[in-house]
Amino acid sequence: MRSGLTIIFMRVAASVLVLAGIAGVGAVVQAEAASDRLVVYSGRKEKAIKPVVEAFTKQTGIQVDLKVGKTSGLANEIRMERANPRGDLFIATEGGIMEILAGEGLLDPHLSPATKAVPGDFKSATGTWTGISGRARIILYNKNLVAEKDAPKSVFELTDPKWKGKLAIAGTRERTSLAWVSTLVAVKGEAFARDYIKGLHANGLKILSDNTEVWQGVGRGEFAVGLTNSPNYYLAKKMGLPVGVVYPDQGPEGFGTPISANAAAIIKGAKNPDAARKFIDFLLSPEGQRILVTADYEMTVLPDGDAGEALSAKSIKQPAVTEQRLAGLAEPTLKLLAALSPDW
Amino acid sequence: MTLASQNARQGALPATPASNSLLKAGVIVLLLGVGFLVLPPLLYLAGSALRPGTLGALSGTTILTLAGKSLSLAALATLWAMILALPLAWLVVRTDLPFRDFCRWLAVIPLAIPSYIGALIYIALLGPVGMVNSWLGDLTGVPQQWVNIYGYWGGVFVLGLFTYPYIFLLACGALETTNPAIEETARSLGEGPLGVFRRVTLPMLRPSILAGGLLAFLYALSDFGSLSLLRVHVFTTEIYHQLNTRFDQSAAAMLSFVLVLITFAVLVGQRVLLGRRSYVTVTGTARVARPVRLGRWRWLAYVLAGGVLGLSVFIPLTVLLFQAGSASQFADVFLEQWGFFKNSLWTAGVAATIAMLLGLLIAYAALRAKGSVGVGLSGTVQIGYAIPGTVLGLSLILLYNTYLPWVYGTVGVLILAYLIRFLTQSVQGVEAALGGINPHLEEAARSLAASPGAVLRRVLAPLVRPTLFAVWALVFISAMKELDATLLLRPAGFDTLPVRVYIHTVEAEYAKAAALSLLLIAFTALPWLVMTRLREKKIV
Repeated sequence: MRSGLTIIFMRVAASVLVLAGIAGVGAVVQAEAASDRLVVYSGRKEKAIKPVVEAFTKQTGIQVDLKVGKTSGLANEIRMERANPRGDLFIATEGGIMEILAGEGLLDPHLSPATKAVPGDFKSATGTWTGISGRARIILYNKNLVAEKDAPKSVFELTDPKWKGKLAIAGTRERTSLAWVSTLVAVKGEAFARDYIKGLHANGLKILSDNTEVWQGVGRGEFAVGLTNSPNYYLAKKMGLPVGVVYPDQGPEGFGTPISANAAAIIKGAKNPDAARKFIDFLLSPEGQRILVTADYEMTVLPDGDAGEALSAKSIKQPAVTEQRLAGLAEPTLKLLAALSPDW
Repeated sequence: MTLASQNARQGALPATPASNSLLKAGVIVLLLGVGFLVLPPLLYLAGSALRPGTLGALSGTTILTLAGKSLSLAALATLWAMILALPLAWLVVRTDLPFRDFCRWLAVIPLAIPSYIGALIYIALLGPVGMVNSWLGDLTGVPQQWVNIYGYWGGVFVLGLFTYPYIFLLACGALETTNPAIEETARSLGEGPLGVFRRVTLPMLRPSILAGGLLAFLYALSDFGSLSLLRVHVFTTEIYHQLNTRFDQSAAAMLSFVLVLITFAVLVGQRVLLGRRSYVTVTGTARVARPVRLGRWRWLAYVLAGGVLGLSVFIPLTVLLFQAGSASQFADVFLEQWGFFKNSLWTAGVAATIAMLLGLLIAYAALRAKGSVGVGLSGTVQIGYAIPGTVLGLSLILLYNTYLPWVYGTVGVLILAYLIRFLTQSVQGVEAALGGINPHLEEAARSLAASPGAVLRRVLAPLVRPTLFAVWALVFISAMKELDATLLLRPAGFDTLPVRVYIHTVEAEYAKAAALSLLLIAFTALPWLVMTRLREKKIV
């Protein structure tokens, strides 16, 4: 006689097998159905990228599966998927990370008339990635807490004691924060950058987890001044928050306002490389640029592109640093910051 | 005496040789299956953690400080959760508290509120520029910062608030299934109510309280979302930070490995605590206890129940409703995102069902198999809970994409991740319930010539069934709100509800995020509602 428990055992085990089988078949069927769609990994916000995706599908009939996440997280995913890539196209919030991926041989070059039109500062020298739009590194301030005439005109004023306890920035999980510090290191030297960041810390700089927290915090008045990216100013303004913007260090002797390129690249081993190429060219087309500029107040990278409500990249003085240099500086900069505060 | 104090694990069933060898084979198959599920990510973790020079910018002191902070925070959150859960559990199961069934149903809702949403809600309320500060500022005319939720104590507060139902659920189950006759006997032998509670009720509840407490503790230890939002710097936030800022993941792997070791130590501790003594009920009837009349204490009971449910259910839901906007916006969100609801519901449903069945098998095998095999089996399952979601996600990408590419890139890998993370909830729950059943009970039934089917139907099933439904709901709820691993492992285009909430939050579309959160909470709580209704009608 078999015991009741053995019977439970076998019945339950059989149910598990059947269920697992059903789940497996369902999953495979679902995956098969999805295999001829263009897979886009986007570190750029869904709100910014989805309108372009929809216009692209409408124009070409190519269906797109979008996976939105943090740039660095998706880049890690692409590295982990190296043996069997799942994504076709990667959109990142800055070019440095593309240089890192390109250095590991994870990207496929794409050169076309459309990418040729992009100025050299906003694309890879070897064609592995191209900028699709830009964002300036701005000072955002709360107009209720800071009068327009008192707003800081330079990032280097922020070590002044009058800003003590009023400053916020996103940590290095935001690639644009890291790129900003790397730019300081590249242009002004490591010793200068370290002293400057130390000065910000002495002034009680609050390091938050992402840029959304920064612009929301400034907008709500938790902080008087925040260091963040230009589209966030327009977003905050659109939400009715009392914010003002400064494109800092624009004087003739000034350091300049760094601009990060949102970048697109084709993942090596992509299953749909042709569709991916078409998508990049579409991003750089007048229509693609118009959507990027209006959907999220980004700057057009094309010299003759319509800037819309945002400033155009060419009207802003920038520090001269290549993305390749920034990519090389990423790790030393992270070490420098980690030594100053664990919050970075 | 009907109370037998003995070690249940020693009282293995003297089964027939045939069923014994079948059972053994079953245990081995299970062990292999579970090992295959949980061990590869662990080994991968250990492999990358133990490479030389992995610490990077992290010093040993940093790791110790972080470990201390994470552990104390998780311990305090668990203590807070117990304070919230235990009196309420007693009130709804054992007293004549009005609306106690409704309270009991409500008290589980916080589990359906993901802790990151809970944190966002309390930041909106108690943040430096939150609603409470501005009300107090208006009220007193002094615009200063009265409260600030950010930081360590905010983390304790929020995590306890949204994990106490783990303890509440299992404590309720235990209060229901422990035989009230034992307490009545103790009372008739002259023990006062407090003495009965301390010497009889509490020891019988201990396995369940510990199991629930362990779930809350491990949740708090591995939580990333809410602590990151509350700006608390602990182990998990550092791991996430390392993973997302640098491409050399060995420091993250090292930290995760330490976290897994800590969890392992906690689990061993729990085994020691539980293994020393256990209590089994020899009678098979789970008779319902006569409710204690609250009398003049009822006002205190109202305040207590109202306070717990207010903080954990009413206030959060009100804030979300307030943020979500009008009913038509709400309907738009629902229609627009219906596809994501389906994704969440079916993946969580499949994961919960497999976890429930596997949990029954594993818990049974672990309890009845002698010695280290059983401990190893349920211990292995528990370790999965300790791997932070992000780390688990990345290691599964690497392992499955390389070795089982036909699983990766499908929804199957999501379900596997849910199983790895949450199987232990089912195993723990069933183990606690099975541990309360004397193995001699089945034996006695069989010696009275009851057929095996009858033993199953009439002896074991009635005793374990409430727990099975509870663990199904637990795993379903956990899988419904899982975010960290899902973000990485979801196939492109296959977003789940928490992923949508995350995306809308990051993109500052708070009304959408709030509406979706409410819908997520409603859908997560749904099986619980259905279950409670069926239970009232005595269908299950």
